[in-house]
Amino acid sequence: MTIMVAMSGGVDSSVAAALLVEQGHRVIGATIKTFCYSGTTGPSRTCCGLDGIQDARRVCDHLGIPHYVFDMEEVFTRDVIDDFVAEYAAGRTPNPCVRCNSNTKIPALLRRGRMLGADAVATGHYARLGEAADGTWVVRRAADAQKDQTYFLWGVPREVLPRLRFPLAELTKPEVRARARALGLATAEKPESQEICFVPEGDYAGFLASRLGADHPALAPGPLVTADGTVVGQHRGYARYTVGQRKGLGGGFSRPLYVLNVRPATNEVVVGTQTELEREDVVLGDLNWLATPPVEGERVGVQVRHRARVVPARVVSADEERVELRLDRPERAITPGQSGVVFRGDVLVGGGRIR
Amino acid sequence: MDAIYLDHAATTPIRPEVREAMAPYEDERFGNPSSVHRWGQQARAALEEARERLAAVLGAARREIVFTGSGTEADNLAVLGRWLLARGGGATAVACSAVEHKAVLEAVSAAARDGATALILAVDEEGRLDTGALEEALLSRPCVVSVMWGNNEVGVVQPVEEVAARCREAGVVMHTDAVQALGRVPVRVDRVPCDLLTVNAHKIGGPKGIGALYVRSGVEIAPLLHGGGQESGLRPGTQNVAAAVGLAVAAELAVKEQAAEAERLAGLRDQLERAIVQALPGAVVNGGGAPRLPHILNVSVPDVDQETVLVALDLEGVAASSGSACTSGAIELSHVLAAMGRSAAERAASVRFSLGRTTTAAEIEEAARRIVAVLGRMRAAA
Repeated sequence: MTIMVAMSGGVDSSVAAALLVEQGHRVIGATIKTFCYSGTTGPSRTCCGLDGIQDARRVCDHLGIPHYVFDMEEVFTRDVIDDFVAEYAAGRTPNPCVRCNSNTKIPALLRRGRMLGADAVATGHYARLGEAADGTWVVRRAADAQKDQTYFLWGVPREVLPRLRFPLAELTKPEVRARARALGLATAEKPESQEICFVPEGDYAGFLASRLGADHPALAPGPLVTADGTVVGQHRGYARYTVGQRKGLGGGFSRPLYVLNVRPATNEVVVGTQTELEREDVVLGDLNWLATPPVEGERVGVQVRHRARVVPARVVSADEERVELRLDRPERAITPGQSGVVFRGDVLVGGGRIR
Repeated sequence: MDAIYLDHAATTPIRPEVREAMAPYEDERFGNPSSVHRWGQQARAALEEARERLAAVLGAARREIVFTGSGTEADNLAVLGRWLLARGGGATAVACSAVEHKAVLEAVSAAARDGATALILAVDEEGRLDTGALEEALLSRPCVVSVMWGNNEVGVVQPVEEVAARCREAGVVMHTDAVQALGRVPVRVDRVPCDLLTVNAHKIGGPKGIGALYVRSGVEIAPLLHGGGQESGLRPGTQNVAAAVGLAVAAELAVKEQAAEAERLAGLRDQLERAIVQALPGAVVNGGGAPRLPHILNVSVPDVDQETVLVALDLEGVAASSGSACTSGAIELSHVLAAMGRSAAERAASVRFSLGRTTTAAEIEEAARRIVAVLGRMRAAA
């Protein structure tokens, strides 16, 4: 089988490619070029030197497989970066990686793969994929519970599942590193990247300022208020705050305060105690389902953050547009804009954006 | 048949004769040509012999050759070296054609950021310089006019003789980038009155990392680098003697074989061109209406996407190019085709095939078959 592997230049996708080569597939490495750090500053664009692209190329050379770079900058900017900026401007906290997987990376590589004679596209996600008894394809949580990345996959269009592959499904992260070392891959010791790839130095406020303009209302100071409306301080622009955040609120409070929510209309950031941060209700919109959608009254599991636990919940209501869930036990910092991902046992049912 | 390399305009293999000539200077004759002792003397002798041989090939004098680290560096030295020298003396403009290599265009942009007026000379739809634009530019008395000898993307040969003559009449310094032209058409500074001329080695069977700028006697430029006094102070830094020897030998061979090789390559190029144009209705040969270098074929095939085509061709064993790859391997749309008035769709559908010394008739026949199959399939899928 000919398989195109989405390679970021990290250890996971490197090993994913290596495993497919070992299994005897004809493997094509592919890296999408998504953005240019220096697009507006330097004399010429230096994004070509992005380490990830070069690392992926080195790994492919080592594995003896071809590697290609697909320029997705335009569509990535439109689908991912513009959305990221708009969400922050609206007082929400987006998940650009989810958006990229669903709207950009996986569909784009599938389309190109088909043109180039590839039967499937593989990624380095820690997730299982298989055919269920009824012939449909389902995504399940990975063998490595610590590393499970099904959270990032809820938005993938269901119809593409038969043409996806997750070679790391049964491996743990330490096993992946060990494989990479044994194979002598240049990326074996590469540290985990937690940063958003297009935000230089993790300075997302600076990035927002460059996109929105420094005088945008989302970056303008305003009142820090408690739930009852008492002004307790000043914030430095609501886009700098996300639900659950403790840093950057200033000091002098009698007890630890956390961001409870952000109100763009009045430019207020609402703060409160840890207890006030806990909620039981989750409402999801912008839905996508990879299995039979949940129905009213059904018992499901819900994950509201990467690496958060899956919390048992009951579906209060469900229609095409919106699903309302009631968690069995309160979860802290349920954040508008983040992904709410729904499971049946270990099966990824799908999810939506938290409203 | 194995993979077929049709990207010789990007780089081409080192010739065995060149490698052999270079070998002693990467081994026992390792000296620094500026040293007093015998090692230095040996290296100096080799360097000056290389300079003399390269000068002879170009119809220049030995003292007019400045070795640089690349063609790009020589282009920068020509454009910015002129600007740095002349800006104090009242010069306000630098000029170049719109289809120059990035090494010239970006050097002109750098001069513009330093206060120069950049005059970008238009070309016609076949990529030939608009001589009216040149005349207009000369009125601003630019400190340098840079017009390439032969274009790297579409192969179009510019009327350099005419441009050089006009610049000479107007008393304006003229530079030409002859990196692709050397060894493909006759390139001599005793026939074309240009003042500055760029060549390099790795496009003609020499090593990477060496170029040279011809600086006509009496033409002044300022150095871009500062250090020791090497290369008459114009390019300080210990010379790469082995590479300079490689450049000289490669240039000699390329020029000696030029007439016969040009005829052979043009024949193969035409064969490939016919096969593509006949099999794929609507295919357009970019620059096809102008005189062209014999080794470059640039075609736009409607409804295909360059990026996917190049990948598909590589998977089928044909190495081609978009004409201007960035270092990541991602592709930028061609500024050359834009200057020739091609639409974004035509630019996104263009592919460059470039032939070289090792290209055979059998390869071209097989490549044509693969190319037509891939382009046909891509077009059907679009």
